[in-house]
Amino acid sequence: MESTLDIFVKAIFTENMIFAYFLGMCSYLAVSKTVKTAVGLGLAVIFVLVVTLPINYLLENYVLQEGALVWLNPEYGVNGSNTINLSFLSFITFIAVVAAIVQLVEMIVEKFTPALYGALGIFLPLIAVNCSILGGALFMQDRQYSTVLDASAFGLGSGIGWFLAVVFLAAIREKIRYSNVPPALRGIGITFIVTGLMGIAFQSFMGIEYGSGNKEKEENRIETSSILTESTDENSAVESTQTSQVINYKAAK
Amino acid sequence: MQINKDANGYTFLFSIAIVIVVGVVLSSLTLALGPRKKFNVEVKKKMDILSAIGVETTRADGVEKYDLYIKDAYVISADGVLQENLPTDKQAFNLDVLKQSRDKTIAEEDRLYPIFEAEVDGETQYVLPVVGKGLWGPIWGYVAIASDYETITGVSFDHSGETPGLGAEISQPFFTERYIGEKIGENGNSLDIMVVKDGTGTGVNQKVDGITGGTITSKGVERMVNETMRVYYNYFSKLN
Amino acid sequence: MSATEKTLKGPKEPLFSRKNRKLITEPLSDNNPITIQVLGICSALAITVQVEQSFWMSVAVLFVMLVGNVVISLLRNLIPSRVRIIIQLVVVAFLVIVVDELLQAFVPDVSAKLSVFVGLIITNCIIMGRFEAFAMGNKPWPSFLDGLGNALGYAWILMVIGIVREVLGSGAFWGVSLFGSNLPGKETGLYALGYVNNNLMILPPSALIVVGIIIWIQRARNKELIEEN
Repeated sequence: MESTLDIFVKAIFTENMIFAYFLGMCSYLAVSKTVKTAVGLGLAVIFVLVVTLPINYLLENYVLQEGALVWLNPEYGVNGSNTINLSFLSFITFIAVVAAIVQLVEMIVEKFTPALYGALGIFLPLIAVNCSILGGALFMQDRQYSTVLDASAFGLGSGIGWFLAVVFLAAIREKIRYSNVPPALRGIGITFIVTGLMGIAFQSFMGIEYGSGNKEKEENRIETSSILTESTDENSAVESTQTSQVINYKAAK
Repeated sequence: MQINKDANGYTFLFSIAIVIVVGVVLSSLTLALGPRKKFNVEVKKKMDILSAIGVETTRADGVEKYDLYIKDAYVISADGVLQENLPTDKQAFNLDVLKQSRDKTIAEEDRLYPIFEAEVDGETQYVLPVVGKGLWGPIWGYVAIASDYETITGVSFDHSGETPGLGAEISQPFFTERYIGEKIGENGNSLDIMVVKDGTGTGVNQKVDGITGGTITSKGVERMVNETMRVYYNYFSKLN
Repeated sequence: MSATEKTLKGPKEPLFSRKNRKLITEPLSDNNPITIQVLGICSALAITVQVEQSFWMSVAVLFVMLVGNVVISLLRNLIPSRVRIIIQLVVVAFLVIVVDELLQAFVPDVSAKLSVFVGLIITNCIIMGRFEAFAMGNKPWPSFLDGLGNALGYAWILMVIGIVREVLGSGAFWGVSLFGSNLPGKETGLYALGYVNNNLMILPPSALIVVGIIIWIQRARNKELIEEN
């Protein structure tokens, strides 16, 4: 069983929405041209994720799941005679919640920071169809998180992970504008490749050991150190050189 | 008559109409396909259980073979007490061990453990579900032990999103057959089976070769099997 | 229809006129939804580890696009403009649920392979993008063709990425081993000669790099597509 902190940290690094699952790429690629817009959109995404995930979690567990309506009438539960399973409505319900919250965010941004509203333009309402938001809800459903706190931690972590990815990429793209990129690769082409390299760099987080609870209980745990050293098996030698190249590139700038 | 598309009344009515159409079509579809979907899930479970005792099945004959080989199914508690009069969703076949392991509101000592009794060629075997954590997500499977309550006769593993070609290989026969012949306990004492670096465990007792490049998943398998077998062996060793 | 109305409407467009055929051919190359319009990236990268996954995802998207485009086109004069986006979203979500239910019922193993990514077809920008850009303003048959063209444009990119990743990363095509067996200790075929699968191809970042290279090739061949800074 993972602790809430594990879920939070994993969502930011090892299971980063962009680098591990590619969710939220469309707006990510479009909005990462300047760091300012990237920060603005990133914050909006964090907010939407943190608000929609707990709501969707509650809907999933108290309305949609098989037998979830047991609180209304015991007969509707899993052991009742008339088990109700509304999970086929999950997609529509989740996306409706997301669309509603995004509308709310749009109104708030327009009222309080009209400059940002103008800069983000069409991308603010497009958060509604940002795969990472719906993806977050679907992962939450698939992984069957058992408490609201876990679902919220996952939402916050995913949002922060997405935010970091967008801002990093925007920073790199701002610098690349002054580099000598081959014409055919300019713009989208090099963006993809840079994102790929960043993804490889983030792979190194796979070596983080999560969950310390059970280790102390077992006496035969001589393998603890080997887990950490052997984790690099999952990445071939090629990646470690590329990782250091990316770090050098970033450090040099 | 010109309908004003932007009028509030029209918008409202149109939306209601769409909701009704969508609702009706989806509900009918899900009701019609419901039994089929349920059947698919159940057949897969039966196929996995049979796979642990080495019986090959397809979705077509899964149910038939399950009834042929599996003679009984019951549930024990974490401290080895046979459970009676369980509600439907907690009975042996229906118990979702994966969901149970992820549910933080259920303490470890309150978990339930199903046992499936099989008869293969006149010999009784016990098929025991296991769940654990891999690298990307949960891993699970079934371990079959012989009537001596100690020796593993077969194993089947599955996963949800392990790296294809690496961790995902735990479901392949070349890995699962490494567990055959290992012991989960001896003379009343639980024994651990370690998953070690590929090549160093062949022919060595209580050691099984892992998957090169799939270390974290392999270690997940090791933890999963050992922790769960301890509970089961605790129950079985008291039976004699 | 009176004679004047007929002339005002103009001659009926033949089913496969030049204009209509372009609807299919353009998205296959110069207006490719993934490499040029830069839409639908999410699923293109996540679901392309194996050719089989790419194939079924393409099939699902094709179904949703074709039916969706036609439905939206048929309803285009009835949809109130205020709830336009919401109605489009509802239509997509509805169709995706239908696809998901059918997959779970009839090909459950495929459904398990695609898992959460079926649901993510809803947020596939290509579908909503085409609804808004084309189906809302065109007749059903051209909309159908537009949907077909874009879905095929999406599909071929997905298949190419899937093939590259599965062949180089797992040495297989649709699950069938191509270069022999690479079981440790019992290698055959190319593996016996020391060939090793490129595991990087299986990991997510490789998809991004493969798409980047496809874009590179595309733009090198067609200079008009190059972006100026």
